[in-house]
Amino acid sequence: MEYTKYTYMKILLGALLFLTVVISCDDRLEVDPTQSIDQNQALSTEKDVLVTLIGAYDGLQEEETYGGDYMVMSELYGNNDDLFFTGTFEGLSDIWNTETVPTNENARATWIDSYIAINITNNVLSALDKVTSSEETRDRVEGEALFIRSSMYFELVRFYAKTWDDGDNTSNPGVPLVLDPTRNITEADYKARNSVAEVYAQIVGDLERAESLLPEENGIYATKAAAAAILSRVKLMQGATGATPQQQAALADARDAADRAIEYGTNSLADDFQSLWFTYINEQGTSPSEYIFAMQVTTQDGINALNTYFGNTIEEIPGTSGRGDMNVTEDHIARYETGDVRKDFFVEVGGQFFTMKHLDTYGNIPVVRLGEMYLTRAEANFRLGTTVGADPVDDLNMIRERAGLDPLASIASVDVVVEERYLELAFEGSRLHDLKRTRRNSGGVVWNDPKLILPIPQREIDTNKQLTQNDAYL
Amino acid sequence: MRRFLLTVFALLMVLFAWAQQRTVTGKVSTVEDGTPLPGVNVVIKGSTNGTVTDAQGNYSLPVDGSNVTLVFSFIGLQTQEVTLGARSTLDMQLNADVTELTEVIVTGYGSQIKQELTGNIARVSGKDVENVPLASVDAALQGKAAGVYVNSQSGKLGQAVSVRVRGTSSISAGSQPLYVVDGMPITTDDQSNMGGQTNPLVDLNPNDIESIEVLKDASAAAIYGSRAANGVILITTKRGKAGKTSVSVNYQTGISEETNRVDFLNSEQYSKLILQAAKYVDDADGVPLDDPDSYTVYAKEGVMSYHSFGDWDTNPKKSYDWQDQAFQKGSYNQGDIQINGGSENTKFFGSIQYLDQEGIIVGNSLSRVSGRLNLDHKASDWLKIGFSMGLTRTYNERLPDDNSFSNPLQSVALLPMTPFTDPETKLPTGTPPGDPNVGLYYNPRISIDYADFVQEGYRNLSNVYAEAGLFAGLTFRTEFGVDILNQNEEGYYQTQTLRDNSSAVNGLGQNYGTFVANYNTNNYFNYKKEWGKFGVDAVLGMQYQQSTSKENFIQGQDFPSNSYKKIASAATKSDGSSSETNFRFNSVFLRTNLKYNSRYLATLSIRRDGSSRFGANSRFGYFPAASVGWIMTEEGFLSDNPTLSFLKLRASYGRVGNAEIDNFPQLGLFIGDAGYAGAAGQRPDQLANPDLKWETTDQFDIGLDFGLFENRLTGEIDYYEKLTSGLLLNVNVPATTGFTSQTRNVGKLENKGVELVLNSNNFTGAFKWTTSFNMSFNKNKVVDIQGQVIEASFFNRVMEGQPVGVYYTVEYAGVDPANGDALFYKNTKNPDGSIDRSTVNASGYSQASRIVAGNPNPDVLAGLTNTLSYGGIDLSIFVNGVFGQQNSTYGMGRYSSANMRFEDNQTVDQLNAWTTPGQITNIPQARFYANNGAQLSSRYVEDGSFVRVRNITLGYNFPSSLRSKLKLDRLRIYGSVLNLLTFTDYKYWDPEVNNDFENDTAQERNIALGNDFYTPPQPRTFLVGINIGF
Repeated sequence: MEYTKYTYMKILLGALLFLTVVISCDDRLEVDPTQSIDQNQALSTEKDVLVTLIGAYDGLQEEETYGGDYMVMSELYGNNDDLFFTGTFEGLSDIWNTETVPTNENARATWIDSYIAINITNNVLSALDKVTSSEETRDRVEGEALFIRSSMYFELVRFYAKTWDDGDNTSNPGVPLVLDPTRNITEADYKARNSVAEVYAQIVGDLERAESLLPEENGIYATKAAAAAILSRVKLMQGATGATPQQQAALADARDAADRAIEYGTNSLADDFQSLWFTYINEQGTSPSEYIFAMQVTTQDGINALNTYFGNTIEEIPGTSGRGDMNVTEDHIARYETGDVRKDFFVEVGGQFFTMKHLDTYGNIPVVRLGEMYLTRAEANFRLGTTVGADPVDDLNMIRERAGLDPLASIASVDVVVEERYLELAFEGSRLHDLKRTRRNSGGVVWNDPKLILPIPQREIDTNKQLTQNDAYL
Repeated sequence: MRRFLLTVFALLMVLFAWAQQRTVTGKVSTVEDGTPLPGVNVVIKGSTNGTVTDAQGNYSLPVDGSNVTLVFSFIGLQTQEVTLGARSTLDMQLNADVTELTEVIVTGYGSQIKQELTGNIARVSGKDVENVPLASVDAALQGKAAGVYVNSQSGKLGQAVSVRVRGTSSISAGSQPLYVVDGMPITTDDQSNMGGQTNPLVDLNPNDIESIEVLKDASAAAIYGSRAANGVILITTKRGKAGKTSVSVNYQTGISEETNRVDFLNSEQYSKLILQAAKYVDDADGVPLDDPDSYTVYAKEGVMSYHSFGDWDTNPKKSYDWQDQAFQKGSYNQGDIQINGGSENTKFFGSIQYLDQEGIIVGNSLSRVSGRLNLDHKASDWLKIGFSMGLTRTYNERLPDDNSFSNPLQSVALLPMTPFTDPETKLPTGTPPGDPNVGLYYNPRISIDYADFVQEGYRNLSNVYAEAGLFAGLTFRTEFGVDILNQNEEGYYQTQTLRDNSSAVNGLGQNYGTFVANYNTNNYFNYKKEWGKFGVDAVLGMQYQQSTSKENFIQGQDFPSNSYKKIASAATKSDGSSSETNFRFNSVFLRTNLKYNSRYLATLSIRRDGSSRFGANSRFGYFPAASVGWIMTEEGFLSDNPTLSFLKLRASYGRVGNAEIDNFPQLGLFIGDAGYAGAAGQRPDQLANPDLKWETTDQFDIGLDFGLFENRLTGEIDYYEKLTSGLLLNVNVPATTGFTSQTRNVGKLENKGVELVLNSNNFTGAFKWTTSFNMSFNKNKVVDIQGQVIEASFFNRVMEGQPVGVYYTVEYAGVDPANGDALFYKNTKNPDGSIDRSTVNASGYSQASRIVAGNPNPDVLAGLTNTLSYGGIDLSIFVNGVFGQQNSTYGMGRYSSANMRFEDNQTVDQLNAWTTPGQITNIPQARFYANNGAQLSSRYVEDGSFVRVRNITLGYNFPSSLRSKLKLDRLRIYGSVLNLLTFTDYKYWDPEVNNDFENDTAQERNIALGNDFYTPPQPRTFLVGINIGF
């Protein structure tokens, strides 16, 4: 081939084409994601804030948090004799055996998911100024976010730190308080643990503000009664056995908060104990009015982790399932008096007994229900010798009579109230905390045994040098 | 006298003329399959007289005299010299060139002769991977190339294979090599939405492959720049050859079985052990053995009696090996037709294959239909055009992931007294209307009968090219390719599977659609020129790739009956979603190969890559490389060495990158998937890092290529160092921020190693024997991760100074002979710096500190192939070995080899559990529901080294006398065995293992290594086949 003008033209054209292609393709490298949005645009409008609040409920509903693990861990820690854990999940098995290690997978997952929910609420709270449609809406949004955040902090502090008044609350390490949304990571994000006292103060303050801001009726979302109910739990924990004037004062607050939760009238006690359960199988997902606050499970969203572990497939009841990991012992069933409908609320599978509370695959998860408020008011009134709202024996009898039992004439000792509370709320998540609060042992383990406190997750200790580990795991 | 002389002269002239007129003719073809070879040089030795064979492989050459030697030569084939003698026809069959020095190596945007190569490229011929009963070519590469570690991970069909070229070079980003088929980077990422990872390479028929080149060092790979840190695997498909149209038909069929079984307890042994375990706990608790809340009563009634339908009470010796229910005899059937031919101007290769494989695990099968047409056309003296098209349909009946109760092999956890079928219903145990809770766990067999789980994929791998000769030595080539992957996954779970799928109350259906459109264009100039002793071969070009993945999903439940399996019939559409993601790369590259005096060689290259995966601050990266080579045998001092026929020293240094991370890692993101109870919600999802950039790997390689004894023995030795820095690391952040990690460029790791390749022509006569051997050593070390703790699975960990993914756990110290307690070494530091080797039992477990107890990365890889032939018989034996790695059996061992901690059936070695004071054993006392030794510890770390007789093939080629009667060019029958023998100390099914449920992210795939979790073993496959060519 000769080098003609034509040849050079061809080369030149080729090179030009080449350059054009290269340059034009560089522009094509700017690609935006299709199903995520930049954090800088995410909270620009009121709608953005409202959907982020829903995201906070979604975070609250995770299996690792109020989806059930908080309740499951409490029951496993506190029921060494009444439950027989036959499951194979190491993390839960170790909790049941009080043999947790810092790498416990449940301790890790629950910590992470609680703080994820907290960060979402912090995002909501940071953008309240975008909620401009009405003051009422802004109050509701703030109240719900504070309710969610303080509920998570309360669960964290009672699982990962020493019990209130087990030593000095102002020096006992609690959990780190994070109150602002995270946008990037700086030195300030490597936080040390706040004291137990600081964490409780934050929780109480948030819940009190939430109760003042929230509406009485709010669908499936948090209400005044819900904030009061959680506050009554916090105060009951601080009130313990009422051994000191401060504890007495806290018991009074617990009593008053429970009384308010009852008096708002948002919720009512179910007539029939059985009707409290099977919310999906029998009620297509509607919670009974007695649920003050519950996690809503649908076929599309949310997992009932209590069902996962406590549940079992019962052929006669379509819609039931579960791993059948939690065998209820015959000793436990013997605790109920003859004639107690709750005694019959167990089902036998292969010679093993399972509670019927968590059989429904898509059952809603009660976080707190009105029955507990009567028992809280009764216990606080009884310990204080008061009758705010009602005589303690009347509150107790409401629960007993609903279970098909004869009313008591009087309460012989606080043990009667505590035992009734155990039987009524069995396997709903309050066991460990009630043992610690009332200074009772779990099986052979003393209430303030450091092993009954979850480890700060090893991944957290490794990542954040500011954190100190709990005593049992040093 | 003069007349006489004239007469003699005339006579001589006549003789001479007669001699001159003598013409030798013949046909040249290949030894292997008798394919005619066009273009072979046929030269009279010592002269320049010669010719080339025509399109049919025929030649005709005038010769003078009888003392003539003909030399037949062709690139890539062994040169042959034959003394003609009195013959006038001489057919020649040429062997592939065993010296390999003259092989043409595909280098990416070009090719080079092996002896002039200055980088390190391992070439695996298509012959080495054809007709091996493995659906994907990556699995067939195992042991074939030095420095390439292939782990098939499990015996499930169509599942992902892990391939590491010169070690793992990343922690959080992908470590699989880049696969390029005919110039086009193809989609190889997992596309599975159900079960373990799948392998899109299954869509490529290995029999269509001409050659596979693995670009290992920086000089070879840097032309792929930011994509090349994990090595590049170039796959070139077969192209047509001019000549008679030849048709090759191949059929092979066979059976397969598991390579190994594990011994579990029978009913008698089981009841002995569980009662022993229960008694211990009851005694300790002070509970009488007959108390209804006692463990003993539970073991008898709640476990053994209940889970045997009461049969155990009367028939305590009746025993079932649940592996019988998990394994089946698999089958393998494969038929191929390949057509090859064309004219000088238009050549074609076409193939069609049907593959049907039944796995060794019940319910697992794979079938594939694939067709390919590759066409090359010379349109004019300056323009060539062509196209390739490969179409495939793959249909895979899949298994759930290893960590599923429905994984068939997990049924070994069921009790030996549990019958396979319910005596009442005659259905698999646990199938409603029988008691669904019988069977300690869900019986996987129910899913085989009452659930479907199918993946069906269509794949189109096509490209077109045009190549123009612009002027002397300068060509321009443009290529455009598409890789379309269209996949549907469908699962239907009938109500009978309820115990496994809690949402299958009235049936559960799931359907995923995946669509990946990946297209690519390469445009480059090539300039080749020689000026005297100086030669240059340069490439300048650009590449643009764009890939979009779309996925949609729908789930439905509440079906009218099990006859309705499509979601159209589901009363509740319980879930659904759609998603999309994409990435783009734009690159410019330049490479120059220089040659002087046929002994001094150099290659320089640079590539500039831009990627949509990185932020505007650091979107572009530059990847240079240089290499030099010196062919010492061309120098005077070595040129006549009788032993050393070839010696080349080469060295390279360069930089490559890795961008194999999720799309959009640089952005701070909110995601809208946080709905609650029917209301839409959003949440923060990712922390921003606008400075994020490539991970870079700097690699140095020095190597020696040699040939001895006229190149009958050739080989390569390489030493390399690969240092990866600015790792794309998922850096842990405090979870109190609401995030757990952020992708940052942090940390360094290195791989250092030695590779050795030897190819020897032991015998070359009628009896031929060739040996090829490769061996490689790699040492992986994490240099710096700034104190990050990165963990995966149970105890895989990334630690500074250690290989990626070491087992970091407490050291098991055996059993206390006094009381049967499991013991662990404390391994804590004493104040004086020494290590406390005292022991603790389970209650003191948390005082024991963790140590590096094993390494899942092998130290040494080796492959040895011996090929022998005599007459029509050929035999090839391929053995490979992987040494120095450990496996973790903790995932299943804590249930199945845990001295009856739970009810699960146990491996037989657990019968050695401690029973009497003073007893020396390594198995702690059986204590039901008490954790006596099932803690995380080195008890569950085992040697995973193995040597495997990977493939043996014995074939017979029928002689031409018979073939010509049948009008066949080739007739061959053969038999082969895959995985005939495995030598290992590993006590579970298969040492070549990694479970398939802990590998959702690239980081897990890099770190969660060597973990066995009831993972199915490799199959042993016996095949017979016939190959016909005409």
